[in-house]
Amino acid sequence: MTSLNLSQRDAYEDRFGQMIAKRLSGSVDSVPHDISERLKAARMQALSKRKVVKPQLASGTSGQGGVLSLHMGDNDRSLWNRIASLLPLLALIAGLVAIAVVAEDDRVKELADIDAQLLTDELPPDAYTDPGFAQFLRTNLRD
Amino acid sequence: MASEHELSEFLKSVEKRAFKRSVYHVRREEVALDIVQDSMMKLAEHYGHKPVEELPMLFQRILSNCTLDWFRRQKTQNALFSNMGDFESAGDDGDFDLLETLSASNNPEQNESAESQTERAQTLREIEVEIQQLPARQREAFLMRYWEEMDVAETASAMGCSQGSVKTHCSRAVHALGKALTAKGIRL
Repeated sequence: MTSLNLSQRDAYEDRFGQMIAKRLSGSVDSVPHDISERLKAARMQALSKRKVVKPQLASGTSGQGGVLSLHMGDNDRSLWNRIASLLPLLALIAGLVAIAVVAEDDRVKELADIDAQLLTDELPPDAYTDPGFAQFLRTNLRD
Repeated sequence: MASEHELSEFLKSVEKRAFKRSVYHVRREEVALDIVQDSMMKLAEHYGHKPVEELPMLFQRILSNCTLDWFRRQKTQNALFSNMGDFESAGDDGDFDLLETLSASNNPEQNESAESQTERAQTLREIEVEIQQLPARQREAFLMRYWEEMDVAETASAMGCSQGSVKTHCSRAVHALGKALTAKGIRL
C-alpha cells in the first residue's frame, strides 16, 4: 500500500467499498415479508400526512388613486363573514339617513319659530308711516 | 412539487434500504422500523411539497438525524453507550493489504457462480456483522458513500461535516472492513 499514490489509494478504497456495498444490496431483497408489510403501512401513513401547499388566488381587486391592488383570501367565505363585512356599510347608510332627518327637522322648526315671532310681535308705530303698509291695509279692507 | 404518486414511489424505492441501514446502526429491527417510519412521516409532513429530485437528499438527512436522535435518547437513558462520537480508528491496519484483497476478486462473476447459496448468505451475514462493528460515524459515511451511492459532497452535507472528514471516515471504514473480512478468510 505504501507504494501507491494518493489517487490510486482512493480509487482502490472506492472500488473495495463498492464491492462490499454490492454484496450488501443482496440483503435488501431478503427483508422478511412482515417487515415489508409494516414498511408499506408506514409509507401509507406518511402519505396521509403529506404536506400540500395550495396556491393562493386573488379574490378581488380595488383601485385607488391610480393604483390597482389585489385582495388575497378565501373564495368560499361563509354567509356570516359576508354579513359581517356588510355591517359597516349598513351602519354608515343608517347614520347618514338619521343625520339628514334631524337636520330637516331642525330647519323646519327654525322657520316655524321665525314665523311665530313675526305673527305674535307687536306692530311698531313706524309701520303706519310706511306707504307700502298703508297700501296693504287698504287692499285688505277693500277685500 | 412532487405528486402523491411520485412521493409514494420514492418512499417505496428507499424504504427497505433505509430499514437495513437503520438496522446496521441500531442493531434492533423494531427500533429501525420506528426510525424509518419517523423519517417517512417527517419527509411527507414537512417536505411533501418539494420537487421530487430534492427528496433523496432530504430523506437521507432526515434518516440520519432520526438515527442520531435515537442514539442521543439512548445515551440520556443510560450512560453506557459511549461510542456515538467515536471518530478514531479502531487501530492500525496491521498486515491487511487492500491490493491483495482486490486482486483476489478480479473476477467477481466467476467467484459468484462458484459460491453456493449458503456461502453467499454466510458472507453477507459476516459483512453485516463487521459493518455493525464499525464506529458510528465511519459506518454512516461508508453506507451513504458506497451503499446509497452518494458523492463525497452529498455525504458531507447529509452528515453535517467536511468532505475531508467523509474521506477519512470512508477510508478507515474500508480498511477496517477489509482487515476484518480478510481475517475471516472472506474474499469478495
